[in-house]
Amino acid sequence: MMTLSSLMLLAQAAPGQVGSGRIQGGWGYVWACYGITLAMLALYAVSLWVRRPGASPDAKE
Amino acid sequence: MKRLMKWVLPVAAVVLLGAGWYVGLAVAPPDREMGDVQRIMYVHVPLQWMAMMAMFINFVAAVAYLLSSGGNVGTVSAKPRSSSPLVSLLALVVNLMAWVAHILKSGWGLLMPGSKEDEARAKQDESGWKLDSVAEASAEIGLVLGTAGMITGSIWGRPTWGVYWSWDPRLTSEAIMLVTYMGYLVLRRFVEDPDKRATWSSAVAILGAINLPIVWFSVRWWRSLHQVQSSPRTVDPAMVLPLRISAFGMLALLLVFLGYRYRQAMAERRAEMALPDALPGDVPSSLPQNSSKVA
Repeated sequence: MMTLSSLMLLAQAAPGQVGSGRIQGGWGYVWACYGITLAMLALYAVSLWVRRPGASPDAKE
Repeated sequence: MKRLMKWVLPVAAVVLLGAGWYVGLAVAPPDREMGDVQRIMYVHVPLQWMAMMAMFINFVAAVAYLLSSGGNVGTVSAKPRSSSPLVSLLALVVNLMAWVAHILKSGWGLLMPGSKEDEARAKQDESGWKLDSVAEASAEIGLVLGTAGMITGSIWGRPTWGVYWSWDPRLTSEAIMLVTYMGYLVLRRFVEDPDKRATWSSAVAILGAINLPIVWFSVRWWRSLHQVQSSPRTVDPAMVLPLRISAFGMLALLLVFLGYRYRQAMAERRAEMALPDALPGDVPSSLPQNSSKVA
């Protein structure tokens, strides 16, 4: 089984061996995916915080 | 345990996801065919893995709930009206589980007379609500992660396939899976009686879980537009490290979400159980208490 360090070395060495790929560019799609995922996860985390037990003012009465 | 949920897991999730995505975006090589667009894999694949895991947890909790509360499962008809063999088989399995659980429960009652029996029943109810809460929490989180996975997959499809959506077997089965779990959560919102809600939604969860292996193996059974699963065995070794780190980060996030959503669901169950069945004089005593809007 490969260690983490050897995998890291492979990851660093590989860009020189492989070209930039047949599809050029496309970073907009990449950023869109990461941005949407981050936004969805953050919104869900906020919804959990808002719905936490005892968060409602009615619950304290 | 509280420290783990409040600090250790959330920090681990943020650190691992941040590190995994950084290595994926800045260090890992571009794909030979897809170029830099392939970097979407480090967010799309962990999302899909964890969505599937959450839905599998939902299935296990649903089956365990039905087994632990056999007496309530009788609400599922022993003779389904539908002639579909799949529905008949499911009804048979659910009823079999109910009978086994009922026999076990009856035997336990004979061994535990009086107040001990009540105590045992209260404990059993509590464990049943715990399982139901786990099922509810995992379905909601699975739906959130699965939806994010589908959106990222769709965006990935545009530069590689030329379209955002195709009725490919993997995409179609995934869409059916998301609609099923949406229906599961809608059903839970509409049924007020906690017992019926838990039993009916467990049956839907088992039905929904039939689709899980179809989603997973669809890319092998029907070779079409979607590539086979990306995993450490199928991707280049240079891409394994960011994929693994991101997956563990997403796993930590899944556990954090599950923990918080489970606590919320349990608080709701306890509040429902603490509510009086009806105010005196409001409802005739002949009517069933805790009746559902649907039933």
